[in-house]
Amino acid sequence: MMRMNRLGIPLAIAGILLITGCNKETKPAGQEETKAGGFPRSKTLYMGGSQWGDPNSFNPLTDWPAWPVNDKFNIMFETLLAYNTLTGKFEPLLGTLESQSADSVVVTLNPAAKWSDGQPVTSADVKFVYELGKRFKGAATAYAIDFVSDIKVAANADKSERLTFMVNKKGRNNPLVVLDFLQAIRILPAHVFEPKLAQLKDLAEVQKLKCDSNPVVSGPYNLEAYSNEKIILKRREDYWGNAALHGGKLPGPQFIIHPIYKSNDAFAIALAQNELDATQTYIPRIWMKKNAGVLTWYDKEPYFVPGAIPTLLINSTRYPLSDKAFRRAMAFAIDYKSIKDLAVSGYSPDLKPGAIMPFGIEGGYYNEEDAQKYGAAFNVETAKKILAEAGYKSVFKADGSLDKMVDAKGKQVPTLFVKSPAGWSDWEAIVTLAVKGMRAAGIDVREGFVDAGLYWQSQPVGDFDLEMIKPAASVTPSQPWSRLAALMSSRTWAPPGEKMNENQGRFNNPKGKGYIKAVDSLLSVIPTLTDKAALTQAYRQLNVIFMQEQPALPLCYLPEQFYQVNNKTWTNWATDANPYAPPNLPWAGAATKMLWELKPAK
Amino acid sequence: MLKQYPTARYILHRGGWYFLTFLVAVTINFFLPRLGASNPVDIIMGKAGSGLDTEAAREKEESYLKEFGLVQVDATGTILRGPDGKPLKSSNVSQFFNYVKMCFQGDFGTSFQKYPKKVTTIIAEAVPWTLALQLPTILFGWLVGNILGALAAYRRGVFDRVFFPLALLLSAVPFFAFGMLLVYVCAIRNSWLPAMGGYAGDMVPGFNLDFFKSAGAHYILPFFSIFLILAGGQAIGMRSMGIYELGTDYIKYAKWLGIKENKILLYLFRNAMLPQLTGLALSLGGMIGGALITEMIFSYPGLGMAILSAIQGQDYPMIQGCTLLVTISVLIANFTVDILIGFLDPRVKAGQMGGN
Repeated sequence: MMRMNRLGIPLAIAGILLITGCNKETKPAGQEETKAGGFPRSKTLYMGGSQWGDPNSFNPLTDWPAWPVNDKFNIMFETLLAYNTLTGKFEPLLGTLESQSADSVVVTLNPAAKWSDGQPVTSADVKFVYELGKRFKGAATAYAIDFVSDIKVAANADKSERLTFMVNKKGRNNPLVVLDFLQAIRILPAHVFEPKLAQLKDLAEVQKLKCDSNPVVSGPYNLEAYSNEKIILKRREDYWGNAALHGGKLPGPQFIIHPIYKSNDAFAIALAQNELDATQTYIPRIWMKKNAGVLTWYDKEPYFVPGAIPTLLINSTRYPLSDKAFRRAMAFAIDYKSIKDLAVSGYSPDLKPGAIMPFGIEGGYYNEEDAQKYGAAFNVETAKKILAEAGYKSVFKADGSLDKMVDAKGKQVPTLFVKSPAGWSDWEAIVTLAVKGMRAAGIDVREGFVDAGLYWQSQPVGDFDLEMIKPAASVTPSQPWSRLAALMSSRTWAPPGEKMNENQGRFNNPKGKGYIKAVDSLLSVIPTLTDKAALTQAYRQLNVIFMQEQPALPLCYLPEQFYQVNNKTWTNWATDANPYAPPNLPWAGAATKMLWELKPAK
Repeated sequence: MLKQYPTARYILHRGGWYFLTFLVAVTINFFLPRLGASNPVDIIMGKAGSGLDTEAAREKEESYLKEFGLVQVDATGTILRGPDGKPLKSSNVSQFFNYVKMCFQGDFGTSFQKYPKKVTTIIAEAVPWTLALQLPTILFGWLVGNILGALAAYRRGVFDRVFFPLALLLSAVPFFAFGMLLVYVCAIRNSWLPAMGGYAGDMVPGFNLDFFKSAGAHYILPFFSIFLILAGGQAIGMRSMGIYELGTDYIKYAKWLGIKENKILLYLFRNAMLPQLTGLALSLGGMIGGALITEMIFSYPGLGMAILSAIQGQDYPMIQGCTLLVTISVLIANFTVDILIGFLDPRVKAGQMGGN
């Protein structure tokens, strides 16, 4: 274990440079030699995009530790199940999914699973993480107890442990989110953390530990070294899953290095120069990098598998956005094709109306007939017609640009602003094009790019007219329910000024006039439905309400989990032509199995 | 008092003013980030709260507020609440006294965004890189630029006619554009030098030759991206100062006396340098926070990016730590030059002697 980056080294470099007058004798960049750091290029996998800034801590009990302890990466600490975002199926990891119902989810723990200190992974470890919220409200996994009331442990015939996750009927009653947990919450060694909790007495104190020296993990890689410029993982030769899950094979790369660059461009350059094998960063016009050997999931548009829907959230409590006709007119006024082509490099299939994606796992819940009948597609004339019918009049200047908008009572409609963080260039481009379309249709909207701090602050309290968001962006088993809930649920409705973490546009006030009860009842019933036909019917109904009411404006589809690779050093990456793993970097979900399939290039 | 020691009095007098400036700056450093409308926990919640429902998000938010000392707690660590059930925010005044106390202990607290990393650790890791890049660049750039500028002013002729437009061009190029151009030409089109990083991607810093070689190779592009432009700007300033000085009586007199050219050049340099020295002080003072763009273009280690993300995230302890560092370096640089000018400039010296 090395803690790098000691003080004085850079100063010493400067000194040497001053004395020698800059050592110009350098090897060509890119194809560096293999000696030096002891991480031979041919045995090392360089991947990036999930760690920005100095690594702060590798403590899995904190909220945002460094890669790969953060998010839901599963190469150091593992989840019970691995979710395949391509097939929608659960694959075994620390456990195997046995059955699921409206009341419980049953998982069998793999009896071979072991921690790196030789101890077996047991139900005690699972209970430790899932029930931490009972002891500490501030725990990162505290919310789990609202969804899981109890974990019942029984022994199978082969002595493996069978865990029954009981759905918290009195709490959220949501088995769908329990499935989300099983593929997201990493199991931690209770025998390591319990003594620390007992000794330091408080979770907040344990969270201050950095856990960066030889941590006890269950996954195939462990922390080798780190600095502010990179994090290095080393393959564990005695990983339990090599025999139990991968037929005795070892993962290809001996080392995984995550370089920490300071801008997206740096990742693009490193990828093109083969200093990086794969990255999950936004690189515009990826086809220009083809000559340098950069590959994507599809070799033509949209290049990546879509996973999230950038959306304009509408504040339905403000006039004239409270008017359904006005919201519908906005949806007709936006040129979605131009957003796709100009703002997001074509990394999106054509947008369909509604909040459910018409392809992939969600595709089964999408109904084209409904979309044709109720949905809004780009058509300026229709937008103008709807506005005119609702009594709005737009006044244009001589040069054709919009001057102002007047409502049926002859009062001027206030200019509406789209709040979006300044400097998020792809979002800025999306917003600019959406605003352009709406203004052309006579709607008085302007861009309102603000400091990211103000942006985040405005969201929960509903301090905006329109705001760019990516509702429930992760691709999880609970999609598209989680996206629809994020856009429409009034379960925790609070007036503007107070905080809401979902439906921040405050659509459908339960105490207001015209409350649509079906929205909330559908949202609460969908997670408990196991019958495919009933589920499809419920989603269809909810999506129709979304299209009729237009509480938000979906703008395009964007990849959420994706990668671009340079296969000059490592080959056999999963792609559309060879989809043996989902389109995610091999460090999360079912994509991790790619590590055992990657082969050194000749 | 100290009447017979005018130099000591001068230094003490200046020092007193600098100390006062320091106190005011420290206070402003504390209050400025807190005057904005946004709040650090809201920004963190944007990241940590996604996917949580409303109640879970509220609980999480309160645990952050407590951890960062932004709410009042009782002796058992329970958050004190107002009549409406909302946590009571701790006052800025109490936070300020806590901050001053911690400053005197050399502790800037724990970063919000890089929790549980200490601000002092973050600064200590980044500052050496920033200094290693900026200090030689600024000093060399200043020295080379001024010497060339003085030469151009004195020699004129072909040297000046070639040099002056070149320096003008260099000083007018924005250094980020120049940096990108360097990367494109030297690293992307031709693989002469590495495009980015402080050292090779497969390396761990350590005291060995390979590491220093690699760090040296990675140093060249960032160095020249700042050096050339800085030198160009300095040269232009020095050249016009030099031309002005050349017309003065003492130079003419020295020439009539037949004093050697190098000696005259030295006189010229010494006098024309005075305003340039003040410029140097400003560059040196600002160097701690000044390398942001270079860091971003070359993904070079350093403090600039840390300051940027601290400001964007309203990371109070980190902003306070960094601005304090910037304040101190600006003040020290200015103080040093103030004293230096006191010795170098006979007019100031005379002022001290007869001054009241």
